[in-house]
Amino acid sequence: MLSIATFSSCYLGVGAENANAQSSREAIQLLQTLTVGDQSTLAATKAIKQLGNAKDITLIQTLSAMKGATPLGRNWLLGLANSLYRSSGAAQSADLTKFLADQTQDGEARYLVFQWLTVKNAGLRKELLSKMNQDSSPELRFLAIDEAVKEKLDVKQLTPLLEAARHPSQVISIIEKLKELGETIDQSKQLGFITEWNLIGPFDHTGSANFDKAYPVETDVANGMLKQEYQGKSEIVKWKKESTTAPDGMVDLAKIFNKEKGCIIYAVNEFESDKDQDAEVRLGCINGNKIWVNGKLVMTNEVYHTGSQIDQYSEPIRLKAGKNQILLKICQNEQTEQWAQDYQFQLRICDSTGKAILTKGR
Amino acid sequence: MSFQLNSIRSAILFALGFYGAMVSPTSCSADWPMFRGPNAGSVSLEAKLPTTFGGEQKQNIAWRTELPGRSVGGVIVVGDQAITTSSSGMDQRRLHLVSLNTKDGSVRWEQQLVARGRPFCHPTSANAAPTPASDGKHVFAFYSSNDIACVDMEGNLVWYRSLSSDFPKAGNDVGMSSSPVVVDGVCVVQIECQGDSFAAGLNAADGKILWKLDRPKQANWSSPTIVKMLNGEQVVVMQSSEDLLAVSPRTGKLLWEMKQKCSTIPSTIAAEGRLFVPSNGLTAFDLSSVGSSPSKLWDNNKLSANACSPLIVGKRVYTISRTVLASGDLFSGEFKWQARLPDAKSIWSSPVVAGNNLYVFGDDGRCFVVELGDEEGKVVATNELGEAVLGSPAIAGNAMYVRGVSSVWKIAEK
Repeated sequence: MLSIATFSSCYLGVGAENANAQSSREAIQLLQTLTVGDQSTLAATKAIKQLGNAKDITLIQTLSAMKGATPLGRNWLLGLANSLYRSSGAAQSADLTKFLADQTQDGEARYLVFQWLTVKNAGLRKELLSKMNQDSSPELRFLAIDEAVKEKLDVKQLTPLLEAARHPSQVISIIEKLKELGETIDQSKQLGFITEWNLIGPFDHTGSANFDKAYPVETDVANGMLKQEYQGKSEIVKWKKESTTAPDGMVDLAKIFNKEKGCIIYAVNEFESDKDQDAEVRLGCINGNKIWVNGKLVMTNEVYHTGSQIDQYSEPIRLKAGKNQILLKICQNEQTEQWAQDYQFQLRICDSTGKAILTKGR
Repeated sequence: MSFQLNSIRSAILFALGFYGAMVSPTSCSADWPMFRGPNAGSVSLEAKLPTTFGGEQKQNIAWRTELPGRSVGGVIVVGDQAITTSSSGMDQRRLHLVSLNTKDGSVRWEQQLVARGRPFCHPTSANAAPTPASDGKHVFAFYSSNDIACVDMEGNLVWYRSLSSDFPKAGNDVGMSSSPVVVDGVCVVQIECQGDSFAAGLNAADGKILWKLDRPKQANWSSPTIVKMLNGEQVVVMQSSEDLLAVSPRTGKLLWEMKQKCSTIPSTIAAEGRLFVPSNGLTAFDLSSVGSSPSKLWDNNKLSANACSPLIVGKRVYTISRTVLASGDLFSGEFKWQARLPDAKSIWSSPVVAGNNLYVFGDDGRCFVVELGDEEGKVVATNELGEAVLGSPAIAGNAMYVRGVSSVWKIAEK
């Protein structure tokens, strides 16, 4: 395989006049490794133009190249694949069927192939989806579960679907169906919401001015030296333990802190992981927010009252075996509109597929 | 209102044909290349459309084509292609761009990408909210997630950018909906939100960001508007809750700007040497001074627009406030009449005019046809499509193309 530097130099302007002389393989490789920015976009524009005229690149090669490609690169390759499919794809249905069956291939590529193969074949669509509840592609798995729950199912049929489901909307929908059949599932636990929090505040956030102000809580938590009390917005404030029983894990700060506006609340949880592992912290919050995990800032969103939902914000984290400190800073502004009064958050820890990771002992 | 002198001056200039060189939104074109059609006018005076259509009999429905996912944007028409976007799948991350043959509604080509920006939006909206735009050689598909793709007229990808990857805090989880415009070889996008808030000009040929202009950090769903000045120069006008400005599309050079509290949903329109801005109801500005900020001519809060963009036919300007259509004098701003759209609920789709009839869709899929008169607006028909419509229709030839949330309709006299 040629080094990235070799072919990139051609597409990024050095020797650009020779770009057409680059092989299709090199052009594909450029798309696979594509990053943000003007220079990358210009290089990709040249590469895809070349590939559009190439005779030595097949549809299957293009789809296969999506495996391991960057998110931006995968979109360029998807674009190319769509063109190649229009010109020759119909003749390759056997190869496409084989590609779809290979779960080691890129999930986004396989989802596209699934659509091509089934767009005019409802029977095949149903047959394929009936075997995709555990598919490695989150999109295909989502589609398969969507299709499965359209049927009238009993508890025995719904239970494995609940374990297979990853998207919160599907988990909730299946739990509701189970409830109708007399089976009660702890939704908050199933989705992995953290329900126990230590809260402190309010701290001043008048004029939305203190989103980036590091109150002592932030510096002390980094040093492992949290104090019992701090100077708050108008008085000394102390930590208070709160737990939520809401099925969606929502912690209602407006209710707990008497609808305070122009303020900041900190929330801490010690999450106990049974092993070192990669994970994702997923937050739903309609207020400005920051999150630190084990003292490292992992999320910052200075946005107020523009919609919220489960998993609205998601960031990868590394959990260590034992206790992991999760610190949230939740900021409320002073908007007076009726729709701008919510002050709340919901947080869960998942693996990269969305499967809940629970704190030890829960 | 202190509009008398200005209105007299404008009336004289109009009578003398002074503004004849200005692009008129009432010109008729075979194509409808972007949101609100040619010159953002939303009007095709020569088009002959049926006043009654749809219903159980599917009257005057030439075809209907169902598409994957949903859309609240509009459809554009370029030659014999009706082109639209939709978003589908998990969190509406799948981004579709589909071309339909205008003759029979069959799919001509489709492109498909995956959102790399935030796909979230209000349940009534969609990731596919902005209307695509075309320069006749390319189509520019833009989504709420700030993914933008340029394809040729056969659907082949020319370039793609994830502007949320370039600027990670760009986005709004209620959903973005500002539609791009393409002018002088530049695709202009307006991405205004509480995070990375900006407008940018992207080179139509290769996607390079030619310029970027910081914008107020407030949500804004209005679209940029192309305005042709008296000297022939085309400029792009943008509005926000704080300002109104014009830039040169090739360079992003700020030509003028003014503090002005404008609406953040309906967009501006230009005609007869004037700019009509949803602001304080509706505010008219004089554009005759090239290079300097336009001076205010009049405003009238009886001509307010809450969601739909205003349009102009002849010497009248029309606005919709919730479910009431209002008519005002273009030159004086004088309120003329209003017509309540019977039993209308919620209207997001900007209206269009064919001949002397205004067509406006409610989000329940009912289309009100209003005959525009000097003294009144008469609702002459109410038509049921049976599908929610939130995007603005397109008119090409003697047909209207309507983007429902899940399909495209062609409406034409049978």
